[in-house]
Amino acid sequence: MVPTQAPLTSSSATTTATLAPLTGSTTLSTLTAHPRSVATDRTLLAPEDAIYQQSPPRKPPSAVNRLQNEKALCMTSGMNGDIAVPKRGRHKSRTGSGSRRRKGSWKRLLWVKQSYPDNYTDQETFLEHLQRNPRLQPYDFWPLVADSTVIVQHVCSVIIFIVCFVGIFQDRVSPVAVVGWGSFATFLGWLLWDWWLGQEDSPPRHHPPPGLASPPYTSTSAAAVSSPNLPIHSPTPIRHSHSASASSIHSTASQPAPSSPRLAPNLPSPSTSQPLSHRTSLRLSTAKSALLIYFTLLGLSPILKSLTRSTSSDSIWAMSFLLFTINIFFFDYGTPAPSSSGKTANKNIPASLSTNAALMASTVLASRLPSTGQVFSLTLFSIEVFGLFPVFRRYAKQRSWRGQVALTSLLVVGTGGGVGLILGRGGDGEGILDFPWKSGLMGVFIGVVGTGLAMGGCSWWLIGLQKYKNEIHGPWDPARPIIRRHWEDY
Amino acid sequence: MPYNIALVSDYFFPQPGGIESHIYQLSTKLIDRGHKVIIITHAYEGRTGVRYLTNGLKVYHVPFLVMYRATTFPTVFSFFPIFRNIIIREQIEIVHGHASLSSLCHEAILHARTMGLRTVFTDHSLFGFADAASILTNKLLKFTLSDVDHVICVSHTCKENTVLRASLDPLMVSVIPNAVVAENFRPLSHAAYPTEFGSHPLPQHLGPHDTITIVVVSRLFYNKGTDLLVAAIPRILASHPNVRFIIAGSGPKAIDLEQMLERNVLQDRVEMLGPVRHEEVRDVMVRGHIYLHPSLTEAFGTVIVEAASCGLYVVCTQVGGIPEVLPAHMTAFAKPEEDDLVAATGKAIAALRANKVRTEKFHDQVRMMYSWTDVAERTERVYDGISGVLSEADFYGYEAADAASWSATRGRAGVQSFALIDRLKRYYGCGIWAGKLFCLCVIVDYLLFLVLEFWAPREAIDIARNWPKKRKEEPEAGDHPTPASTFRR
Repeated sequence: MVPTQAPLTSSSATTTATLAPLTGSTTLSTLTAHPRSVATDRTLLAPEDAIYQQSPPRKPPSAVNRLQNEKALCMTSGMNGDIAVPKRGRHKSRTGSGSRRRKGSWKRLLWVKQSYPDNYTDQETFLEHLQRNPRLQPYDFWPLVADSTVIVQHVCSVIIFIVCFVGIFQDRVSPVAVVGWGSFATFLGWLLWDWWLGQEDSPPRHHPPPGLASPPYTSTSAAAVSSPNLPIHSPTPIRHSHSASASSIHSTASQPAPSSPRLAPNLPSPSTSQPLSHRTSLRLSTAKSALLIYFTLLGLSPILKSLTRSTSSDSIWAMSFLLFTINIFFFDYGTPAPSSSGKTANKNIPASLSTNAALMASTVLASRLPSTGQVFSLTLFSIEVFGLFPVFRRYAKQRSWRGQVALTSLLVVGTGGGVGLILGRGGDGEGILDFPWKSGLMGVFIGVVGTGLAMGGCSWWLIGLQKYKNEIHGPWDPARPIIRRHWEDY
Repeated sequence: MPYNIALVSDYFFPQPGGIESHIYQLSTKLIDRGHKVIIITHAYEGRTGVRYLTNGLKVYHVPFLVMYRATTFPTVFSFFPIFRNIIIREQIEIVHGHASLSSLCHEAILHARTMGLRTVFTDHSLFGFADAASILTNKLLKFTLSDVDHVICVSHTCKENTVLRASLDPLMVSVIPNAVVAENFRPLSHAAYPTEFGSHPLPQHLGPHDTITIVVVSRLFYNKGTDLLVAAIPRILASHPNVRFIIAGSGPKAIDLEQMLERNVLQDRVEMLGPVRHEEVRDVMVRGHIYLHPSLTEAFGTVIVEAASCGLYVVCTQVGGIPEVLPAHMTAFAKPEEDDLVAATGKAIAALRANKVRTEKFHDQVRMMYSWTDVAERTERVYDGISGVLSEADFYGYEAADAASWSATRGRAGVQSFALIDRLKRYYGCGIWAGKLFCLCVIVDYLLFLVLEFWAPREAIDIARNWPKKRKEEPEAGDHPTPASTFRR
């Protein structure tokens, strides 16, 4: 029985150790690993292999060399005659068994009649261009844990929203309190944002060139949502992506049908407000759009309230669960690379899908609530949580690491406490140790410990799984054509 | 020693294609060498039952459900009864399957091993390891090739690929390239052939202002590099005024090509012929000077050999097995990039204009390099090796002392053992779950075999009479042009 099933061992992996060196797995292991090791040792890749395995990507020699190289018989191999030399040298230095090669013997060509049998396997050149895990990056533990805070934050904010809904639904929390505190926090966030913007503006900056059409309109449409402005002066693409998600919020919130961001109304172009300073005009437009959202929601709330009256509650719970799952799985957790503007266009779609899913979930949840005020509060709160808070979180993550940690802990504590309060029945007078916040404290404790364990455990697990990564590339892969311009651009 | 050989594949005439013509040419040459060859394929529309082709080549068209692009639906066991009947009727000793996407071939290899026959598999294509379809195909290939006697690949790149995909011992994989019938791809004027009536040979020496015609014969699919072609043609035509294009072939990317032509108003300089039949390819090729082959993946690339045989200078992308196929003086290689393809074509045009390339010699050189007779000889050596005619040391090339030691891959005398327990051992190593599943399949297959032996005993099956053979005493002087075009459609 062959114990492992790694694809690089031949089916005779257990027995080849006694065979001649020309058998399958030993050939493979001399090519990919140390010479005398048994093949089963090296079937799994450790992350440190990335240091040795990182060979440069396969670069075929240019056609210049090929045209000049009229005498084909001088070539040692049909392809990559020039790149083979350093690789072979590296093989020699690693294996120390390069002397088996007969001089000028076998050629990797089909048109030459050779004196070797057809099944001859040249140990030097066989699988020479094989690349294993060419783009492997070994993970480290603490950066991985730090990166997982993004996911924790998002999951926590979703849970907090659900807790608030349950609280409102069971009449345990006043909807005005929820939306009041939420709006207060949003306002604080916006103040912070504005302050950060001021810090960024203090060094003199230029407006983005007019060729970059997307930053002005995306930022203004995001500003139209409500409080936090998008920084117009720093054209890093990270803002493009959340601004797009924010703009889709706007369209879903203000219009019944989701529309593309271009259709968002009242786009105040940045150039119209020349007399005022730029930031003042931004603040004004933010306030204007916040008011607009506010009144639109106020008008829509009675309609939303009766939206799903004919649907049973069970369907609503199932549906909102599904939608929140979509929200969590399709949320744009990534930190975009600072230079690629093309990628952000692709990232808009999942982000907007996730945001729309969350808003739809909150809409159907809100439609379960009995009074217009509750519906209005919950919908406004959902816009704050799912539309604006992710934008703020992402920006805050870039600004300060300490703030990120503080925000994460705050969210985890809040989530734990909230869930504990919802599930538990503290303060009902049972037992000696009973006090009103008992279940809340229990929730905080369990939440903090559980989250910490999950973050650490998942990171550790992912690092452990990385040694199973076995990606094989070689000349048989279909080439990726590099085309300078797409033909539509002609 | 003559063998009775069955070539099994889903792909055969009347469907056109490279594998189809490979099977036909190989079987014809094997018959010429004294073997008995039959071909088993599935029924095509209008082709059912048993057919005889030229030279007594017998083709069995087995009725099977065709699923996708001439591939039959993979029902692991349903092929066994009729397969067993054919094998016994024709007294087959070696089953030789072709093409890794053909489920008929895989099933035939499995059943043949159950029946105790020698099996050979020829791989014609390259597969990656990343996408889901490839993973599935590779697992299936691993299943079949766990118990096969020998594998033939068409290029060294293909061999590496197959060895990795099916976890094979590299020594049981031979590289035998495709070939071309050089007489079917002769240049317009050549000393060895009579000049065709009415044809005007192209001027041998091109001046700086003569028109150079670039020919592209390819199915217009993504993996044939049509995107590169679409991007490169306007730039090539813009920088070289006396250049024309002839594009033959059809496919989903033809629309892109036509849009490019209309956008750049190049209709008078690019001629699109649409689909051409295989026997017309030569007539298209001889109209040009340069053959451009922008493919993104290619196991062998028979078409560039055909183009070189027609006396065309070949510009091709350096992918897959292409760099092994032709010598450097016949080809200009480019990276699969638009800029590099344009540059390589420009260099090829310049080299032709400067008369640096002796294209008139290409035909004779290609004829020396590739011939089906040679392919048949080398395939015959594989048959010798797996039947034990060649000693193991001769065939696998190592000392007999090592051969004495037991190996899961090879049994005694250089051939794989047919014992069920040995076969199960080979299949079991395919994977944690897959190994057990494969073992189950093999056991069911074996039980089916026992049932069939009881149900339809061997004695009750008629033995087919062999095609009367003209004893050709003189050895083959070379390839004679096969009358393939009489039935190819």
